[in-house]
Amino acid sequence: MRTTRTEFSTLASQDHERLSQIVMRKQAALSLRVAVVFLVIVLGLPLVNAYLPELANTPVFGFTASWLFLGVVFFPITWVLSAYFIKQSDRLESECTDWRVLLGKPAETQTAFTANDSTNDLTNDPLNDPTSKDKEIL
Amino acid sequence: MMNPGTIPFLFVLAMIAVTIWLGIRATHASKTASDFFVAGRSVSVFWNASAISGEYLSAASFMGIGGMVMKNGYDALWYPVGYATGYLFLLLFIAGPLRRFGAYTIPDFAEGRFDSPLFRKIAVTFVLVIGLFYTMPQMKGAGLTMMSILGWPYWVGIVVVGMVITFNVALGGMKGITIVQAFQYWAKLFGISVPFFVLASIYGGYPSHLNEIRIAPQETPRLTKDATVKIKGKKDAPVNAMTFPAAGETEILFPEGAFLSAVTPARKPLSGEDKLNLPGMDTNLAFPTGTRLKTQPFTVTQGGIPLLKDGKVVKTALKLEFRDPTTAVISAGSIVPNAPTNKKWIEPFGTLTGKYGYPLLYTYSLIIALVCGTAGLPHILVRFYTNPDGRSAKRTTMLVMVMIGVFYVFTPMWGTLGRSLLPALYANNTTDTAVLKLPMMLENKLLGQILSGITSAGAFAAFMSTFSGLLVSMSGAMAHDIYGRILRPNSSPEARLKAFKVAAILFGAISVGLGVLIESFDINMMVGWAFAIAAASYFPLLLIGAWWRGLTKYGAAIGMLSGGLLSLTAIVISMLIDKKFLSLQVSPIVRTLLEQPAIWGVPLSITVMVIVSKMTASSIPHDVNLKMLRLHAPEEMGVSQDYIAH
Repeated sequence: MRTTRTEFSTLASQDHERLSQIVMRKQAALSLRVAVVFLVIVLGLPLVNAYLPELANTPVFGFTASWLFLGVVFFPITWVLSAYFIKQSDRLESECTDWRVLLGKPAETQTAFTANDSTNDLTNDPLNDPTSKDKEIL
Repeated sequence: MMNPGTIPFLFVLAMIAVTIWLGIRATHASKTASDFFVAGRSVSVFWNASAISGEYLSAASFMGIGGMVMKNGYDALWYPVGYATGYLFLLLFIAGPLRRFGAYTIPDFAEGRFDSPLFRKIAVTFVLVIGLFYTMPQMKGAGLTMMSILGWPYWVGIVVVGMVITFNVALGGMKGITIVQAFQYWAKLFGISVPFFVLASIYGGYPSHLNEIRIAPQETPRLTKDATVKIKGKKDAPVNAMTFPAAGETEILFPEGAFLSAVTPARKPLSGEDKLNLPGMDTNLAFPTGTRLKTQPFTVTQGGIPLLKDGKVVKTALKLEFRDPTTAVISAGSIVPNAPTNKKWIEPFGTLTGKYGYPLLYTYSLIIALVCGTAGLPHILVRFYTNPDGRSAKRTTMLVMVMIGVFYVFTPMWGTLGRSLLPALYANNTTDTAVLKLPMMLENKLLGQILSGITSAGAFAAFMSTFSGLLVSMSGAMAHDIYGRILRPNSSPEARLKAFKVAAILFGAISVGLGVLIESFDINMMVGWAFAIAAASYFPLLLIGAWWRGLTKYGAAIGMLSGGLLSLTAIVISMLIDKKFLSLQVSPIVRTLLEQPAIWGVPLSITVMVIVSKMTASSIPHDVNLKMLRLHAPEEMGVSQDYIAH
């Protein structure tokens, strides 16, 4: 278990770079995808109001269409988008929990029994580390 | 007979008592420094979401949005939408990384990300500045509510809220206020929904009132009975103005007389049109006691010939600006002053975004300010650290969006009802009080007072919960960043905890003092200031800092300062023009950009960050990739750490 950390801290800088790129790229793509959907809605509505006023002012249940959208329907849309984002984001995270796999190294390292050195721990306080339990299993 | 404010006052008192009681109860569980700064990072998703929502829904949300919808109609719907959208952006780009980075405060992030203690000092200054700007309107709301319920002096409500919350924060810190804020969210939701349902069951619901407004586009609200209104003086400009409608007559009596500072046509004459010859246009005008004024629309002429637009004669009416406070009685049947026509109100690009003639520009800038501003408010951000991990930070944000979304659906309902039932509030620009005043008009006085008590208690919950959060974030910045990191880096956790308490009392006192001083400032204006600064400083810092490894401390600091300070300058100039301290002739497009600076402020801040970072690329921290991993790698990977291990 200690091995995992020791070995991580001995990774070269370019490994950090590769790893952070792998981790960030998919998350960034997901965030941007959701943000674009959302921006199209928020920034598109004023354009509809300006250039398609008949559509915007169509009566719907006593509301105008634009009022119903902005004052009521808009909020559930944000819920759906955020629920989608969280689901996808969790899936992405569960795909990259093991950095060795991401770097193309074997998941089970043979060093698991050799090193007991914890002086190079990345965390200042191992007891505070929420992930230490997971590493026990590793 | 019992004072009509007694029952509402009892409700407010009960809200205050519960707040203190919950605060004391929570205090027993609050012992360590971590409890004080981040509630021990052990708050469950549901309670944390309730607490964040409670903290977020401030005076501006509880009273302000309803009032703005009543005043400006459709355009004001962008406010709740922007607040909610800001949260989505937090979720997409900031919430997870920030929590994983494991810092207590934004200044921690600033220092940890850039290895620069100087940056901590800049960031901490912004926490305090934004915090105080956002505190002032909460305080003013508290003072006004007490005034409007019981007729107590303005400062009483401020001192009460200030003392109660300072007590809670100093005693229990973040953990002490979490349960209180969570409770206050539910109190606010109850306060905005239940009284509305009762009113709607008697006077008709939201869609039916909107429908009546929609089918009569040329109408403007009329008074059904005489309305007595208190008018403000010049020191409260621009709310001392009374603009009469171009659609019909208004009869108005001044039992105490009135002094005017200006009489102008409501519609500014365009070039080529004839100047109107109005009495007292350049001099001060006085109405003797008991003056009865009947205003009528008049025709706009060009070279003596009536001006036509779309085949119709263009008309306008008087705009009076009062020098001194006075009272006016507007007669039944009159069209109420200051109210836009139904068409202008219910359709987009009305009196708010359309006021300078560039409605689309105004709308976009407003949206950017609200979205980016929300994502950069320090007292909201500090809340993410109370989550156990990045994953629960995301879940919390999701739940917060549901909670605030449900709340915000109700706010325009109050504005709509106010327009239909209480148009007198337009006359003296007090649409902000619609939420408190509407229940009072019920035939059943007892029920009316109880409902008004519920909304008043909800309003108090709003001031108190938001102020709690602000006080914790400011005290935390003081104790943790200034005392613990800058002044006494070797101080013990106990000493920092003591510093937190001292800072809470200090900032509590400063907030009360400021609140009393700013009686004549407009609530929405002050919230606007806080948002403008946050949008162009913290939001770019967090967004770019979390996602671009090339950002350097110089780029971040200079970008943040230039964006934040220039936006602030613009908005202050705009306010000075409004208040007539500054008689600057600027083009409408510049005027729009001064009042709503986000559309240039945010891109400016980001551009400066990128350019300066490129120029100072050598100062990118050598372990920037490791920092990026800490921000973005799932906890299971085992690279995240608590930046501060207490």
